[in-house]
Amino acid sequence: MTDLTVRGACRTFAGEHAALKGADLDLRPGRVTALLGPSGSGKSTLLRAIAGLEQLDSGEIRFGNTAWSEAGTHLPPEQRKVGLVFQDYALFPHMNALDNVAFGLAGSDRKARAMVQLEAAELGDKARKFPHELSGGEQQRVALARALAPKPQVMLLDEPFSGLDRRLRSAVRARTVAALKRAGAAALIVTHDAEEALDVADTLALMLDGVIVQTGTPEDVWFKPVSAAAARLLGDANILSGQVEAGRVETPFGALACQDITPGTLVDVIIRPAGLTVAEGDTFEVVESRYAGAERQLSLKAADGTLWHANAPAASPLRAGDRTGLQLETAFTHIVENRS
Amino acid sequence: MSSGRSVKATARPALTPFAVLAALVCAAPILAVAWIALSGGASDYLIHLAETRLPVYLLTSAQVGLIAAAGAGAIGTGLGWLIARCQFPGRNILSWVLVLPLAMPAYVAAYAWLDLSQAGGPLDVATAGLFPTIRGAWGAGLMFALVLYPYVYLLARDAFAAQSADAVQAARTLGASPFTAFRRVALPMARPAIAAGLALVIMESLADYGTVSHLGAPTLSIGLIRAWSGAGSLLDAARLSLVLVLVALFIFSLERAQRQRARTSAASGRHRPASRLQLTGWTGIGALAVCLLPLLLGLIIPLARLGWRALHAAYTPDVLEAAANSLFLAGTSALIAAGLGLFTAYALRTRGRIATSAARLAGLGYAVPGAVAAVGVLAILSGIQGWLDPLWRGMTGEVFPILLTGGAGALIFAYLSRFAAAAIGPAETALGRVTPTLDGAARTLGATGWTLLRRVHWPLIASGVAAAGLLVFVEVLKELPATMILRPFNFDTLAVTAHNFASDERLGEAALPSLAITLIALLPMAVVARYLSRDTKSGDLDD
Repeated sequence: MTDLTVRGACRTFAGEHAALKGADLDLRPGRVTALLGPSGSGKSTLLRAIAGLEQLDSGEIRFGNTAWSEAGTHLPPEQRKVGLVFQDYALFPHMNALDNVAFGLAGSDRKARAMVQLEAAELGDKARKFPHELSGGEQQRVALARALAPKPQVMLLDEPFSGLDRRLRSAVRARTVAALKRAGAAALIVTHDAEEALDVADTLALMLDGVIVQTGTPEDVWFKPVSAAAARLLGDANILSGQVEAGRVETPFGALACQDITPGTLVDVIIRPAGLTVAEGDTFEVVESRYAGAERQLSLKAADGTLWHANAPAASPLRAGDRTGLQLETAFTHIVENRS
Repeated sequence: MSSGRSVKATARPALTPFAVLAALVCAAPILAVAWIALSGGASDYLIHLAETRLPVYLLTSAQVGLIAAAGAGAIGTGLGWLIARCQFPGRNILSWVLVLPLAMPAYVAAYAWLDLSQAGGPLDVATAGLFPTIRGAWGAGLMFALVLYPYVYLLARDAFAAQSADAVQAARTLGASPFTAFRRVALPMARPAIAAGLALVIMESLADYGTVSHLGAPTLSIGLIRAWSGAGSLLDAARLSLVLVLVALFIFSLERAQRQRARTSAASGRHRPASRLQLTGWTGIGALAVCLLPLLLGLIIPLARLGWRALHAAYTPDVLEAAANSLFLAGTSALIAAGLGLFTAYALRTRGRIATSAARLAGLGYAVPGAVAAVGVLAILSGIQGWLDPLWRGMTGEVFPILLTGGAGALIFAYLSRFAAAAIGPAETALGRVTPTLDGAARTLGATGWTLLRRVHWPLIASGVAAAGLLVFVEVLKELPATMILRPFNFDTLAVTAHNFASDERLGEAALPSLAITLIALLPMAVVARYLSRDTKSGDLDD
């Protein structure tokens, strides 16, 4: 099986698209890579560049030994044989579900093979339906089946779940990942939803301002983000800026050890709200107490005026104005150099 | 939804009569034609006609319609794609300039091209007889293609522009080359719009009289006018009208069905506008040349030839009077049609069942060829005459004044029955922009009644209503067959003057009124064209 590698991909635009400023990415067969970034970070542009729908200014995209994009080379999309699922699915409105899936197939048995693909998506009974007669979830499955039908070795999915009802999403997500695994292709799913990215990814890549800032397993990236900005992409985080002195950095919860960082370095201490739990004491004043279903989300003010986010059990009696202590669980803490 | 209900309840039901009036104006002539045609026995002339000429009329109509559709389809689809999907020098201006050939009546183009290409004409001499003479069914079809392609162009352009780029790109990632993607995805997605445009082209070529009579292509319209002016039989004219109307209604229903399909097939997916293909250097100049060719053939060359002819002909003072008549008829019809269209659109907004059916009935008028509308108006007037005569005689002892030459009023009646439908569509589209929530927002901010109309509605719909009026103005200016049948004695319009001179082979004298029609029509047509090309994505011509 063959890897897809992107190295130093650069692309600038005059218009509305976000730029790429030297992005690196690896996609492996049978693995799902989630590309997470805020809107405007260039993640869709990177996906479109891999598909061949955008040309690179510099950098390269290789599939095994084949150059897809490099200086002087731009393989047109129809010769890359990637599968692409668009955010709006882009089903052909003048063709029924079966003809949509058969579009990329050749040969006399193309309809039959398309039908097999549709049946795998449990849409056999909807083969004669036109796109506007299908529900959003069904359209998504037709789009996925259409992209998978030609058996591409690289599958690209651009925000494939964003058009769906929130209740449907996790089910459709599980189905989609299962289908991608069955196909064994190297898959890339672009999303701006952290929960979704963590859910689907074997490998998680974070993109900020045209650059991939971190790649790793979802656990690695969540527990050990490379920067405060990377941490915020994956969810709420308390960020405390400080300076390393004698292998330690001071926090309102006491000093934290960081032996491997040169003394005098400016650092960000990243603490997930889940790492702060209510404890005995009165050093923090509750500023806001929000009920969020399974838990209570607290905003607290420390004696030095800094603001902290912590989680408490749903039954917690704490309300704005109350005082409490906080306890830090170091597993949810990560210290990174502040390079900005 | 309670908010929707309350908005519906406050809409003025008093407007429904306007929709009913529009429906009566538009439908009465067809109904009268059908009534006359279906009553009474078969006259000798009709039997004779059916045995001899009718098959020829039908065959020629089919030939002319097909050639016009093929030509206009190729030109309109090609130009529509170029303008919607490519960027090249002059594109922005061409986007609306390409609509302008609609200002040129097909018969005027026919005068010029026959004059240029006939034996002894400049093209014949310059090519030593190689250039074919523009005449007959294919010549007429060609003329229609050259001046009516904008119907296809407008609908195709907007369809191509509205297509999400994703569909074509999806085809590319599934292995389709750029050309295959166009053939299998972009073109089929635009097909309903193109088909709707083609139906309009065929309907217009069926309605024409001037072109086919000048170029010698005996279509149904010719048969109809011969039955009336030659044989003088209202019954026979009505019967031929009925045949013509049935053909037109059939094509009209195809057009409506295609529009409906265009709506459902465009419904899927979010719209991601495609970046236009940049054509630079020679390809850009090539695209420019391709766009200029139909303008040259449909507008500039005919105008130049007629200009040259007019300069070398004796001036005929009647032209001024005819121009005044034309302007009066076109202006009055345009004003009434715009008003009728606007009020009908408002009536439609109430979603009342009567108003909706009435407006749809009025829409049928668009399918009625001018000659048929005229025969219908004649039938109505003679019916009223027959009913009033004895009454009047009994009351006053004198003969009732003759209604048949009902003057300008009868003409305007016929024009409205044909073109009011053309004004309802744009008004409805424009009013569609005034959503019930907009009304609600204005009301909660204290604007009601006239204030609401003046400050919210009018600014949103004014340009649409004006465009509708101008469109009717141009159509009435160009109209020939209805005018010929209904015009009062000694009352000539520019179109009739031009036709009379041209059929007497006095093309020099025909040139000036022909030029006058086209030049007067160009200005309002330019306004309409720019309105329809606001940002390539725009409202339809009659929808």
